[in-house]
Order: sequence, then structure tokens, then C-alpha cells
Amino acid sequence: MPEQFPPKYGTVARSNQWGTRVKPNKHGLRLGDINVGVYGEIPDRWDDQTRNPRGAIAKKGVPPLGYAIRDKADLWADSAADLYEEAIQRRFASATDVPWDTIKPLPDVLERAICQVLTELCQYANCDIEVISQWQHQMAYGYHEVKQFLATATFDATRMYESFRKRALCNGGGLGLEGPGEINRMILESRGGWSETVTYLLLMRGSFMQTMLRYLERYAQNDAERSIYRFSLEAKARQITYGLDHLRYSIAHDDDRRTVMQTLFFIGDRVWARELGDHVLREALSIVFAGGLENAPTTGNAIYNRMMRDFMNEYLGICEWLGVKRDLATLPGRMSQYVTGAAG
Amino acid sequence: MIRFPSPAWFDAVAAVFNADDRYRGAGGGQSFCRFGVIVGEDIVVVTMDGHECTGADAVDRAGLADVDFYLEMPRSQWLAMLQDIAANGHATLNHTLNTIDLDLDEGLSKSVHGDQYREDLFFRYNQTLQFLFDASARVHTDFGA
Amino acid sequence: MNTPAGSPSAPVEFKLDWLSQQGEWGTQATAGKQGLTLADVAIGSYGEPPEFSDNMTGRPRGAAPRKAAYRIGGYSIRTRSEIWLDNASFLYEEALQRQWSSATDVPWHTLEPLPDDIETAQCNLATFLTEVEFVAGDVPARWIAQTTPDYFEPRNCLLAQVMDEARHMDVFRKRALANGGGLTQATGGTAGVVGSIDLARDFTEMSSRLHISGEGAVLTIFRMGELMAYNDAEKAIYRLCAQDEARHVAFGVMHMRYMSEAAPERRDEIDSYLDEAERQILAGSQNPAGQATPSSDALAVLLGGGRDQYDEGMKKLQAIRRRQIQEYVKRVRSAGFGERFDNGRSRIQDLMASTVA
Repeated sequence: MPEQFPPKYGTVARSNQWGTRVKPNKHGLRLGDINVGVYGEIPDRWDDQTRNPRGAIAKKGVPPLGYAIRDKADLWADSAADLYEEAIQRRFASATDVPWDTIKPLPDVLERAICQVLTELCQYANCDIEVISQWQHQMAYGYHEVKQFLATATFDATRMYESFRKRALCNGGGLGLEGPGEINRMILESRGGWSETVTYLLLMRGSFMQTMLRYLERYAQNDAERSIYRFSLEAKARQITYGLDHLRYSIAHDDDRRTVMQTLFFIGDRVWARELGDHVLREALSIVFAGGLENAPTTGNAIYNRMMRDFMNEYLGICEWLGVKRDLATLPGRMSQYVTGAAG
Repeated sequence: MIRFPSPAWFDAVAAVFNADDRYRGAGGGQSFCRFGVIVGEDIVVVTMDGHECTGADAVDRAGLADVDFYLEMPRSQWLAMLQDIAANGHATLNHTLNTIDLDLDEGLSKSVHGDQYREDLFFRYNQTLQFLFDASARVHTDFGA
Repeated sequence: MNTPAGSPSAPVEFKLDWLSQQGEWGTQATAGKQGLTLADVAIGSYGEPPEFSDNMTGRPRGAAPRKAAYRIGGYSIRTRSEIWLDNASFLYEEALQRQWSSATDVPWHTLEPLPDDIETAQCNLATFLTEVEFVAGDVPARWIAQTTPDYFEPRNCLLAQVMDEARHMDVFRKRALANGGGLTQATGGTAGVVGSIDLARDFTEMSSRLHISGEGAVLTIFRMGELMAYNDAEKAIYRLCAQDEARHVAFGVMHMRYMSEAAPERRDEIDSYLDEAERQILAGSQNPAGQATPSSDALAVLLGGGRDQYDEGMKKLQAIRRRQIQEYVKRVRSAGFGERFDNGRSRIQDLMASTVA
């Protein structure tokens, strides 16, 4: 029978590297495992403006798509592939994985305080979603590991968002007052570059949120809350790991990065300090930590101060680890009070 | 031995399926649908509710009007699929639901209502449906004459 | 410098004014058989997405607004009909339940060496699919950032889609590199016909191209992939991807259904998006009679069982593509736009009839 459908594109293998056979190991077949040979060559700059998969033969004449982030130093983290696989393994569906039946009615003020904290956490998660989403599609595919990890990061932020919301709406309460929003705006407006955004989103606010989640887990009222905070902590830790790994890489490959970060911190600290002056979150957290209003101004507030000291230690410690010099004398008072030990 | 395709057979398969946590991960998950199984003159409507298969009822053709989709193929092909599952513990290459659906000229999955959105549940829950039929490997089936 | 809030020995004074400035209070959502879902907490004002959102600060829907809050702005999607679908939270919860890991849920050990022509075709297809999934990962992300959180339910669906697509990118890359082959040549197709998804200026326009047309086509490819898989690993890959893709298609159908009811004044506009989608279907790789794409080549080889069975494979491909078109028509009918097939606006069925089985 005559050939009716002559193949036009050929079925002969045309490949930059044929004969690749990566076998699974005891952890399965992971993204990092397949970075072999040409497929694992991650250049310092990816000029291909198309959706050509790294290692594939590029097709000439394809119109560019305009990926703005094409330098490795602007997004890379060696841990991205592993973090992606780790995130995928941590399946969490709040509907069924949170023991909602462990939540019992709480005193009104305590419930209101918990709901207030959850409302602000929702906004942090929302900020994560919006910020990462607006950058992710601008990243070139030469660094697909990072894009894939960020897909898990936004998915995790989504799960945090809806978990916090569910908790606020399932125990006779509701959502609270929205946060002041200045830090959210600062993060969203860090349009200069992804690394700059990471500095604010993950290093600064991320470490604050992580510290808060640790304390919330410690002072949770029931297993449902513990479960929500624990999942959120894991997810946040992954994000921060990426952030630090990326910033370390970036600093090592971009002479200017450290200085830029110092400037960012100087600006960001002032915004942070203004938001710290907002009493709402502090009071709500104090009530949560004290288990009620009665001891909130004393015990609860002391725990809040301890949380803030932990945060500042973490924050400044990260800066030191990255080699970004911080002049404590220029820290705003609302932040330095937690460093000098002036708080009770 | 339980006769296929009796409601009792589906109940037995459901008992295996419902008890095995492995079917809840790896792409499985909660499903919410009612689907029909037509084997010659026998018609059974199966209910999936959350993680469980919660019911199987014998109906007549009119009973298919409001199911989300129904699966229909000649008895010999049903038996071939189930015998393949019984022999191998799960459907092998040529006997998965989707493969059969594409291999058959008229397809395996259809509906009376013609609403593709509801018919698409066959695809959305495909892994779970496959797990359900795979669970029949652990049921002693009377395939009949 | 403010003295920090004090020690147990020096209590501070709390204002507590926020206690009386919260959202609707007394909400008691209860978990059902399926756990506590987003639908369960859509109670009272928390379950009422506004027809138009004036939420410019990014607060969660139902939270009490703060007069001095900073505006985030930048939300271009602030009208409910632009993005809504009635079962968004249901689809999102479904996505959460059905996550899978390409590293551990695919039985990679079942891969065995395949004949060269088959392995080449699998790698050609995997390369193409990696590229195509890039589109579906990028585009929803852009729209997510532009959507007010008042419509977080559909936004959550898109976020789940971005996650799904990342997983698809990853699994096809792995398949190409796991069995003695490699990535082959990019098609560039994602900058052309499929790439027009990037160019959409309206969410419904984007969704009609991505979810109804594009994802519908990719769903068929995944189903074909499962049909022609040569081992359990490939079976699993394609079946799990098809499951995800069907959910994305469902999003598109339900959004369009909502639009047809809630924004009838936009029906003509949406019909023109569908006109374009159908032109692309017929001109491009989804055309049953179409042969002129690398993915068609690869599919024909795989469906036929080898290069020497190419013709047989191409016949099977055409038959499956005819079914794909039928399913597309039924989806559009389900979405409330079936009139176009009855009043002569759409020519897709006529053209289908002219392709010989």
C-alpha cells in the first residue's frame, strides 16, 4: 500500500545528547538527578527567549517571549530542584489533614485574638502569592528548577491562606481587621529585581513569619492549629532556604549585590519599624501567647518580646551569614530595642 | 466467588478499595460521581463519595439517565479486562480504562445526557476509577459462563 | 525611642480597639464527611464574593477594612463575571487531593529499552509536551497576580494549575532522559498558535484559548499517551497528567458557563474567541486531517507501534482527533455556547464531516 502520510518531521533522533539513561534511586527519580551532561549545564546567562527546554535543540526563527530574568545570579539557588521535590512530597490538604474536630469553643477575646492573627497571616500569604506569581512568569526556562520550586511556593502559600481562613471561620469567630499593609506594599513594589524582592519577601518578612509561626505552634490551643502552623512552618522554611541559597549565590556572583542589600535593609527597616508601631498584631499575639486577656499585658507581652528578640536575632544572623554588614546604630528604635536587650 | 457484574461484586470490590489507604494518594483522592456499568443486560450504578465507593445498585436502562457517565463494552471485553487484573494485580498495558476507551470505536465512557462536563469526570477521576477496578484483583470473581 | 512593651513586672496598656472592628462574627463552619472544605466556610458575608470588588488593599474577603491601610492596587480583575465559576472551591479541593509526585509515584523501574524509532518518538513527544506545559505554567501565573483576593476561589484553581503544570514539565523531562534517549528539538509551536495564549488581554479570552482549546487538545494527547504507552511508567505518567488536565478543562467550561449566564452582553465577544480557537484547531495540530507537526509524527509512530506502521498510526490518530473535536463541541455546548453549532456560525462540524474515516 502506498505511503499515504509521509512523515514531514522525521523520526530520526536529533538531540544534543542522545543515549541518556538516568535510573531512579531509593528516593525515586528526582529533578536534580536528571541534570546530567548537557542537560545539567546551567549557563550564567540564558539568552533563549523562547520556551526551549534546556538541553533541547533550539528551533530557529521563533519569536521571543520577553523573559526579563535571564541571568543566573538573578534567581538561581543550587537547592531549588531538591526543594521542589521536597515540597511535592509534603502533600497537605487542610480539609482532611487537619483534625478540625479538636477545636473547642474558646473565650471570646482569645478567639478574637486568634482570628486577628490569622487575618494578618492570610494577608502575608496573599502577598506571597501575588509577589511570586508576578515574577515567576518572567523567569527564563534555562532555570526551570527555580520556576518549578516557585510553583510549589505559591501553592504552599495558597494552602496556608485557605487553612488560616478555615480556622478563623470554624469556631464561632470570623476574620479580623486587615493589617496596615505598608510592608505588603513594599514587597509588592520591589520591582527592581527578583533578588531585591527575595530580600524583602523571604529574608525579612519570611523570617518574621517563620518566627511567629513557631510561637503560634508552641502556644496553639488545639491539634488543629498545631497542624496548620506546623505545615506552614515547613513550607515557610523551604521558601527561606531558597531565599538564602539564592541570595548567597547572587552575592557571590554579583559584586554589587551586597551593597544593594544594605540599602534595601536601610529602607526596609524603616518601613518595618513603622508597621511594628501598629498595636493590633502585638496585642493579639500577646493575648494568644497568654491564653487570654488577663495575663496578656504581662506574660503575653513578655512572650511577644521574646518572639521579637528571636526574630531580630534570626534576621541579623542571616545578614551576617550572607556577609551583609549591618550597622546596629542605624536600626530604628522599634527594632533595636529587641537587639540590645532593653525589652523585659 | 461473587458473580460479575452483580451489585454484590461491586460491594466486595468497594470493601477492598475503601480499606486501602494507598488508593488515596499517588493521584487518587476524593471522587464524587455516579457511574453506570453495562455488561450485556446487566446494569449497575456505582456511587463514589469522597474516598469511598459507597454503593452499587442494579438498575434498568432508564436508571442511566442521571448518572454522570456509564461504561459499556461487550461482556467478553469486560472479562478480558478483569482477568488481566486478576492475573497481574492491576490492569496491564492494554486493559486500562482509558486505553479501552480509546481502542473502542464507540468509546467505553458515554452518557445519556450528553453533558461533556459531567462526562469529563471519567477523566478527572480516572486514577481513582482505575484503582477501583484494580482492587478487583483481590476479589474472587465468578466470571460466569 | 519607644520603650518596648514591658516585662511581667511592668504591664503595658492595651488599646484593644480592634476587638470591635472585626468582620462578621459568630461564624461556625462545620466539617462535613469530606473534611472542612472551602465550600463549608463560605458562610454569610464570607461566602458572598462581590459582583465588583473595591478591595485594593489585598485583605481577605470578609475582613474588616482599615481606613489607613495602604493600597496595593494593580488588580485588573475586579469584576466577578470576569473570572468566576461556581464550583471553583470544589475543583481546588479536588486538586489538593490529587497531587502526585513524579519522583515516587511513577514506576520508573518499569522502563525498559525500546526500539530506536519508538524511543525517538517518545522523546520527541516528551520534548514537545515539556515545551507546551511551559505555557500553561506561565500564563495563569500572570493572571493570578492581577486578580483581587475577593475572588480567591478561582485564583486558587489557577494556583493549583501552575503547580500541576510544573509537575508536568518535570515528568516529561524525566521521561526523555530516563530511557536511553534525550530531549530532541523544540517545536517553537508555543510562540505561534499556542503562543497566542500569551497575548490575551482578557481573562475569558485567555481561558477560552488555554482551558477550552489548548488544554482540551493536550488532554487528548495525554489520553493518547496512556493508550500507546509501552510500560507502566508511561501509563502512569500520561494517566496522571490527563487527570490534572481534565480538571483544567473543567475550570474553563465552568467559567464560560458562568459567563454565558452572568454576562450575556459578552456572548458575541466570547463567540469570537471560540471562532479563533476553532480556526486554530483546524489549522493546527488538532485537526484530524492535519499531519504537519512534529507531535503528529511522533504520535503516529507510537500509535502504530513503529516507524514502519506509520500509516496505521496516523489513521488511529485521525480517529482519535475526530473524537477530540466531538468532545470539544460537547464542552462548548455544556458551557452554554452550543448555539454556534446550530446556527451555522461554527464550521467545525462541517469540516469534521468532510474528513474521511
